[in-house]
Amino acid sequence: MSDARIEAYSRALFEVAQAEGNLSVVEDELFRMARAVESSEQLRGILTDATIPAERRQQVVEQLLGGKASNTSVQLVSLIVGSGRGRDLPAIVDRLVQRASSEQQREVAEVRSAVALSDDQTKRLAEALSKSTGRKLNLKVVVDPSVLGGLVATVGDEVIDDTVRTRLEQIKTRI
Amino acid sequence: MNLFVTALLAVEDPTQTHHWLLPETAEIIYGGLASVIVFGGLFKFAGPMVKKSMKARTEKIQKELDGAAAARSKSETDAAGIRQALGDIEAERRKILAEADAQATAILADGRARLTKEVAELEAKAAADLAAARGRSGEELRGEIARLSSAATSSAVAASLNERAQQELIESFIKSVGAAK
Repeated sequence: MSDARIEAYSRALFEVAQAEGNLSVVEDELFRMARAVESSEQLRGILTDATIPAERRQQVVEQLLGGKASNTSVQLVSLIVGSGRGRDLPAIVDRLVQRASSEQQREVAEVRSAVALSDDQTKRLAEALSKSTGRKLNLKVVVDPSVLGGLVATVGDEVIDDTVRTRLEQIKTRI
Repeated sequence: MNLFVTALLAVEDPTQTHHWLLPETAEIIYGGLASVIVFGGLFKFAGPMVKKSMKARTEKIQKELDGAAAARSKSETDAAGIRQALGDIEAERRKILAEADAQATAILADGRARLTKEVAELEAKAAADLAAARGRSGEELRGEIARLSSAATSSAVAASLNERAQQELIESFIKSVGAAK
């Protein structure tokens, strides 16, 4: 998909979420959904398979997110998948998150963890990262079992990696 | 006329013959005169023709002699040329044979050198392959040990990562990031 089209979709999503008054929740839910699509080849295959009717793909989305995400998020993802742009969902959502963060004059900080963080941990982590980078951050936590343990934070071009996976890789390299 | 005949008869008189073998004087005179006249006529009329014929013959013979001399000279020149050509051919033959010998020697030397070089290269390659195979075996063994070690380490670490360990890692990260600046 062209950059202009991704931009147009992300702007549309942003305006709908803003109009519904739940931008913060929607961008967070869409961010998680985008990461899930990125990490699951099977899910990506279903959502982007042009041979599967659009209605069926939308049903899959509703079954996956139903009860776990807000109605706005479900409808927006369904719209993107139904229009045959499922492959571009991560890019559209990333642009949406960037737009939402810019509105709040914040920068997106993506944190990957093997287990879910508590609200308290998320808050303290956001403060610690803001203090460390000197920037206001919009923290997005992704549960990624492949990191095994610990956290890796990406703020712009800066990566702070203290995961067990990376340590094991270092040990493997040394061996 | 009568006087002349009388005189002639008188001359023919056998009785007046003074010798049986020698002619009469008159006969000698007339015969001599007739001979002079005949020879003179011959000399006058036939002489130039004979002289001319002789001259032409002489010239023809001379010409033939000159031609023969020229032909001989040419033949000698040709013979000399042929002798020289033969000599040249012989020299050329020797030269070609010498060149062929030289080329054969050079090719032989080149071939020998190339074979020597190829044998040396093959030996070096075989030695390198042996060394590489030896090294590869070592590398493969080391790699296998590393793979097993790292797999064992990963398994051990993953097994030890219980909920408490996960929380400790998260807290450690938050603390270290917060303390970074």
